[in-house]
Amino acid sequence: MDNTMYVSLSRQVVLRRELDIVANNIANADTAGFKLEDMMTRADKAAPAMTSGVKSPVTFVMDDGVARDFRQGGMNKTGAPLDLAIDGRGFFKVSTVAGERYTRDGRFKMDDTGKLVTQDGDAVEGGGGNIVLDAAKGAVSISEGGVISQAGQKVGQIDVVNFDSLAALSKDGRNLFRNDTNIQPQPATTAKIRQGMLENSNVQTLTQITRLVEINRAYDSISNIMTQTSDLSRRSIQRLGAVN
Amino acid sequence: MQALRTAATGMAAQQMNVEVISNNIANMNTIGFKRQRAEFEDLLYQTMESPGAQSSNTGTIVPTGVQIGGGVKAGSVYRITEQGSTTATGNQYDMAIQGRGYFQVLLPSGETAYTRAGNLSPNDQGQLVTPDGYLVQPTISIPQGTTQVIISKTGQVQAAQAGQTAPTVVGQLQLATFLNEGGLDAQGDNLFMESAASGAATLASPGSTGVGQLLQGYTEASNVDAVSEITALIIAQRAYEMNSKVVTTADQMLATAAQVKP
Repeated sequence: MDNTMYVSLSRQVVLRRELDIVANNIANADTAGFKLEDMMTRADKAAPAMTSGVKSPVTFVMDDGVARDFRQGGMNKTGAPLDLAIDGRGFFKVSTVAGERYTRDGRFKMDDTGKLVTQDGDAVEGGGGNIVLDAAKGAVSISEGGVISQAGQKVGQIDVVNFDSLAALSKDGRNLFRNDTNIQPQPATTAKIRQGMLENSNVQTLTQITRLVEINRAYDSISNIMTQTSDLSRRSIQRLGAVN
Repeated sequence: MQALRTAATGMAAQQMNVEVISNNIANMNTIGFKRQRAEFEDLLYQTMESPGAQSSNTGTIVPTGVQIGGGVKAGSVYRITEQGSTTATGNQYDMAIQGRGYFQVLLPSGETAYTRAGNLSPNDQGQLVTPDGYLVQPTISIPQGTTQVIISKTGQVQAAQAGQTAPTVVGQLQLATFLNEGGLDAQGDNLFMESAASGAATLASPGSTGVGQLLQGYTEASNVDAVSEITALIIAQRAYEMNSKVVTTADQMLATAAQVKP
């Protein structure tokens, strides 16, 4: 087999992964706090290829990483008092059984003990511990800076943290981000909490549909190249191999 | 192909979203109904190359890694328990709760259920019952010959009778409150049951601290907002369509791969 086939194949493998990522973006177009992803590719010149007398560099396509777009999603007013959105850079801190996690999905609620939790029941952290509300004390009001008050009295503080490099985060599912590096989260200074709002997913469906078409066509044309290459070698064999 | 399965999770989630929205719209005129919202979460990510991994012997690291998500799932269906508007009915047995609290209802099975629907009426023995005939707890009996029933904001029930100048007190209504109202277990018939997520019921008289007041002659309308439900329906439909587009694309790519001539 010659290089054309292998190079084409490398592109097709990457295209399939790109499709997986676009599919995930579209499936989560309606998930609060979801952040768009896209595949980054690179030309790998270092990879050894079968170069039977071919001098030109053979360049494979490699998947280089997933770029995550942390831009602000649109705001959606829900009116529910425990729906919180972060306006600006920052994350809520959530304590799960697997350790500390970060999220921008602010669909919180109270559990049976009055603790502020995510929809999976993991505690939202604030002021070095959990946040406990008393439903009998009346309406909950949460300030831009995260101060929670009930009946005019401060009852807690929601932590919003940020990272110097967002590349430290990887996705954990359930709208949570995990920090596997030793970059420490810092208190967010510019972020504002908006009560009664939710941050939509920042997936722009129109762009994603365009990406779908793009991936489909690219796959198609690569596949064409492969057919033509195979055709070429078949014809060469037929002509050169003819006895007469 | 992962993309096919991912798109299928997206379609299933949007289908559930439409089911929740249609239930909200169907119950737009149900007394005491609280709207619901389907909440979505992304599924687990498959890590192909983890961020921060070393990419060479000289210590360069992969900045972001390759993580591919598996789609979406419905995390929970959350009940938004905000107050519905009150509608004047003029019926003296109708009550709306303004603020927190639920009426207690004794089910035929002996269990206690909770409801916000205050469209009550007396049964053949003069006891206050729900439209299904279940007794409201604590039992209130309206004596025969009552000309008018007066229910105070704090839940005191008085009956005025012909030939008497002052009405007589016939009972005191109590409301149940929960720490987490969203965690109540819906039973249909406007009834809810206590669950592990809701916490135990606390009984108190209407109008006491943290408990709503009663409003006689009114019912609480559902808190469904038609415009936002229709908007949500449009968004759900488009999201469903787009996921089906992914299925089509994945299918076409598989067909293309199958058509490569050897």
